[in-house]
Formats: sequence, structure tokens, C-alpha cells
Amino acid sequence: MELDLYFSNYTYVIIFVLFGVALPVVSLTFGRLLRPKNPYDDKLSTYESGIKPTGEAQIRFHVAYYIVAIEFIIFDIETVFLYPWAVSLGQLGWVGLNAMLIFILILALGLGYSWKKRVLEWN
Amino acid sequence: MSAYNANWSLMTPEIVLMILALVIFTLDFMTGMSRNKPFLGRLSILSLLATTVLVAVFNRETGQIGDMFVVDGFAMVLKIVILLGVAGVIAISMYYVDRHRDVYQGEYYSLLLFATLGAMLMVSSADLITLFVGLELLSISAYCLAGFKKYNGKSTEAAIKYVVLGGTASAFILYGMSFVYGLTGTTSLVDINEAVPTLFADYPYIMTMAIMFMIAGFGFKISVVPFHMWAPDVYEGAPTPVTSFLSVVSKIAGFGIVLRVFFVGFESVYDEWAFIFALLAAITMIVGNMIAIVQRKVKRLMAFSGVAQAGYLLVPVATMVSLDMTMSMITFYAVAYLLMTLGAFAIITLVTEDTEDDALTSFSGLYQRAPYLAIAMTIFLLSLAGLPITAGFFGKFYIFVGAIQAEMLWLAVIMIFTSIVSFFYYFGIMKQMFMRDPKPNDDQTLSVPKPVSAVVTISLVGTIGFGLLANVLTNYFNNLQWFF
Amino acid sequence: MMPVTLFLALGAILFCIGLYGVLTRRHIVVVLVCIELMLNSVNINLVAFSSVGPVANVTGQVFSLFVITIAAAEVAVGLAILIALYRNRASIDVIKHDLLRSS
Repeated sequence: MELDLYFSNYTYVIIFVLFGVALPVVSLTFGRLLRPKNPYDDKLSTYESGIKPTGEAQIRFHVAYYIVAIEFIIFDIETVFLYPWAVSLGQLGWVGLNAMLIFILILALGLGYSWKKRVLEWN
Repeated sequence: MSAYNANWSLMTPEIVLMILALVIFTLDFMTGMSRNKPFLGRLSILSLLATTVLVAVFNRETGQIGDMFVVDGFAMVLKIVILLGVAGVIAISMYYVDRHRDVYQGEYYSLLLFATLGAMLMVSSADLITLFVGLELLSISAYCLAGFKKYNGKSTEAAIKYVVLGGTASAFILYGMSFVYGLTGTTSLVDINEAVPTLFADYPYIMTMAIMFMIAGFGFKISVVPFHMWAPDVYEGAPTPVTSFLSVVSKIAGFGIVLRVFFVGFESVYDEWAFIFALLAAITMIVGNMIAIVQRKVKRLMAFSGVAQAGYLLVPVATMVSLDMTMSMITFYAVAYLLMTLGAFAIITLVTEDTEDDALTSFSGLYQRAPYLAIAMTIFLLSLAGLPITAGFFGKFYIFVGAIQAEMLWLAVIMIFTSIVSFFYYFGIMKQMFMRDPKPNDDQTLSVPKPVSAVVTISLVGTIGFGLLANVLTNYFNNLQWFF
Repeated sequence: MMPVTLFLALGAILFCIGLYGVLTRRHIVVVLVCIELMLNSVNINLVAFSSVGPVANVTGQVFSLFVITIAAAEVAVGLAILIALYRNRASIDVIKHDLLRSS
């Protein structure tokens, strides 16, 4: 049956996952057994590209991140429509092109709105 | 018929309204950051009236665009009701935003217009996808509108409750729709109607479950018990004109979608779902009216009154004898409901804004402060309660007669009994207006701004006019071709 | 057993988890995530019906594209309202929001 074939294709994925998990586990375990152990303060501190770490690890994000996230969602979702449209543009012809232009025009108005409202500025 | 050679002129009103809404939206952000732009309000009313004329011209004959979008008598009547309702809401809003300078007027009006566009798409869609997109365009705009006073804790709290519960309701509707699509293999309502009788024979439980999920979701949108819990909170927290929008336009559009889905998509299995609606109608009428009695805030009272009215509107759905009769009953009551609720909300906005208090006692001594408003409010309340010579009376009377014809006597009895209960709380407002003295720190005379008084007068003339000449409207409705 | 049943079971489980989260969670961001979970369970149903359902056709996939879009719009609006709420109250705990009560 077609569905059995579909599931049997996943055998390779399962093997791949098993190898993927096994490789780091095995190599790290051997490394721990073999390497010398000599910890001191500087070695245990958080690595921040060589600078001394400052502040807490769990910080509160600035509220502007959320606004940028909202902006991002809109244009991320645009792709959901663009992709199937691009695949079947050959059959859609001029009508399809015009429809998509109208769609993008409306989105562009939204972008213009957020530009004018200074949402895109970071301060 | 494919999308290429379809008769796109059927969609003219929607396309024109969309362009006008986008123009207003663009004008707003191109004319600077000021919040106060009263010309946009006037422009919005003009565009709604222009669209109403276009609906009357282009939607006169039935037609469809490739199974997705249909134009028929039902769509035309409901679109006109919705457009005029929004025009009234904007007229009330012009007074409100004049007093609340923290409202961005351009965004407010363009959101109202987008919501209207969603409602228009909803009532004339013949496909689950179009219907859902229209519903969400209306709902998402309404979420924003409910939280429009963004520096006010109550308003934002109402908005977040509305988003969370509204999103859950949408998920319920979609979950039901996904099973309907899965078993029928189509999203077109006409094709679904052909496929469901055999499916009900083959998979009775799955189909019943799918219908129950959809009823739960739609029941939320039109606020019937037991899915009404959001209504009082959102109505209280939202700005008052937005409350009137929710209770008038959003509810009528919600009924439009229920009727479209169940009378076009599931008409062939009417017996399977009619009884669910009968039960919902009964408990909605009982609970809505009973809880309204104990309310002390006028917006919460109107919320429960709206819940009860939704119960009356569900009665003809459950007691169909002939489709045309049912549709004409519901539409007549929808017209009456629009007139009386919009008029009442115009007065409520004015009074609660003037006294800066939304308790029932803010109405005290209204007869001495503004006699015309007090008398108009009395007539709207009598119409909501269903006393004669008002449109509300005839609407309720037709529904009552219909229920008896369908031999659903128990439903008719509940309707009469709960209508009597409703006199108590409507009488509470009248008592405040006529038998109490004005509060000492209120002005002795209440000045009525022009847009509000225009809405009140038009609603008053309509409520009494359709009460005296009810047969003009019913004759027109009886000869209408409701569904394509 | 129909092959589609497995996918429907997955959809049903996701829907129930989402509904449970909406009803019990106190953090509004988590509640919004749970709503998203419910909408995604619908997508699983639609796509499953559209590829291995009894009447398989492409309409379900188109439907699910619209569901994805609208879910995103809803979450965007939800987040925006959440920011406004946070600025007013300095808290996004559901229990603390009780200004609107029956009298």
C-alpha cells in the first residue's frame, strides 16, 4: 500500500537520528574519561567572546521587539500566498498577476502606515 | 464558470467600499500625526451611504461569482441593514471621539469600514473559505475597536478577553468545518447540502459533532447562552459606540452567517439540527432576561438584553414551516432590532458620556433634562420589550405566530413569559428617567449634538413607522427571492 | 482503519491540549500560544483530509493557507493588545485582570 511505502521511507530518518544522537554522546563521554581535569574561576565563567560577562542571563526584552515581531509576522505570512501563486503563475496569467499586485499594494499601504507612525525607528 | 469570465460587477459595492476604506486609511496617515480629524468621519458616512446605493443598484438581481460569492435577496437586505447600521454607529462615534481626544480618529473610522467590508463578505458568501475570511475580517477589526481607548485599563482588558475568547470560538468553528470539508470533499455550501443526507446516514456521530462545534463557535459570535459570557464584560469595557457596533452590526452579521450556513449548507438535514437551536433559543431567552434584571450598569443591562434578543431571533430558525416565511420573519426582526437598538445606544452614549457614569442612575431625571430623548428612549425600550405600535412588537408577533404554526407551543410560551420578565428591567430605566430628579451636579438641560439627534430621530421614525405600516416591509420580504 | 484516522487523532489531541491551556493557563502569552495550537490542529485535519481523506482534493490545502494567515493576524492583534494591557497594568497575569465584573 502507498501509505506503508510512505512510512517505510522514514526508516532512513530514524537511522539518521540515532546516529546523530550517538555521535556526540559517545565522543563527549570518551573525552570526559580521557582529558585532564583542572577547573578554576575564569574557566567556569560564561563565555562572552573574551569579555568579562556582565548582568543577568535572563533579561526582560524591550517592548519594541514585540512590535518588530508583529511587523515581521505580516510579511512572513505574505510568502504563504506568494509561493503557491508563483508556482502556478503560468496558468493564472494576467488576472493572477493583477490580483497579486493588488494584494501587495494593500500590504504596502500597511507598511507605509507603520513607517509614518515611526514604528520602524528604533529608540 | 471560472473566475475569468465571472460577472465581477456583482461585487461592485464591496470593491468600492474597499477602495474608499483604503483611501480613508491612506488619507489618515498622509495628513500628519494629529488624532483629531473630524472630516474623516464625514467621509466615512458618505462612503457608507454611497455603498448602500450601489448595493441597491447592483445587487437587485441574483447571481454568483464561481460558487464563492453570491448575491441574492438575503445578501442585499442584510447588506443594506449592515451599512446603514454602521453609518449610524459612525454618527454616534463622531460625538464620542470629539470628547475623547486620545482616540486616533483615522484608524478608528478605517477599522470600522474594514469591519463592515468583512460583514458584507460574510452575508454574501457561499463557500466556507470566503465565509470564514469575512468573519475574521469583522472579528479582528472588532478586537482592535474594543480596545481602542488604549490608556484605559477597562478597555484593554475587554479587548484581551474578546481576543482570547473570540480566537477560541474561531478555532471551534474551523474544527467543525474541517470535518465537514473532510467528509464532503468540498467547501461550497450548495455542494455540501447535496452531500450531507447520505453522510448523516453513514457517519451520524462525526457529522453531529461537526455541527455542534460549528454551533458553539457561531453561538459565541451571536452571544447565545451558554456562549455569552464574554458579552457583558466586552460591552462594558469597550467604548460605547463600539458597544453599539458589536450589539447591532456584529450580531446581525453573525445571524447572517448562521442562516447562510444552516439554511443553504445543511437545509437538507433540517431535522438533525433544528432541535439544538430550539433548546439554545429557550435557554438564551430565559437566562438572558433573568440575569438582566439584576444588572445595575446600563451597558451590562443592554448586553443581557442583546443576549435575550438573540434568543428571540433563534426561535424562527428552530421553527421553520417554509423557508421564505422564516427568512422574512428573521429579517423583519433584524430591521426592527437595528432601529431600536441603535436609537437606544445613541441615547445611552450621550447620557453616559455626559454624566461620566455608566450606572442605571445616570438616567435619573432625563425627562426634565431632555424630554425628547426621554420619550424616544421610552419608545425604543417599549419596542425592545415588544409592546404594540412599535416595530419590535410586530417582529415578535410574527415570530410567535410562526412558532405556533410549527406546533412548538412550549417555545412560544417561553417567549411570552420571558417577554413579560423583560418589562421589569426596561421599566427600571424608565423609572429613572421619569420618576427620579436629576442629580444635583448634572446640568439641568442636556444639549443634544446634531449627529446623535439625527440617529435618534431616524430610528424613532423607523421604529414607529414599521410598527404602523409593518405590512409594507413584510409584503416586500414575502416576494423576495431569499436564496439563489 | 482509515489511514486518515491517525492524523485526526493527532489533530484531536492537539485541539484538546490547546483548549485545556486556554482554560487553565494564567499567562496571556501562553493562552495565545494555546489558541494557535487549536488552529494548527485544524490545519492538520484539513491537510490530512486533503491528501488521504475519503474525498481527497486540493481545496483543503487552500483552506489551511487561509487559516494560517488569519491565525497570524489574530496573534498579531493579540500581541498588540497585550502590549497596551501591559503598559496600563504592568502585569499580564489573567487572574489580576478583574476590572470588569458584574455588579
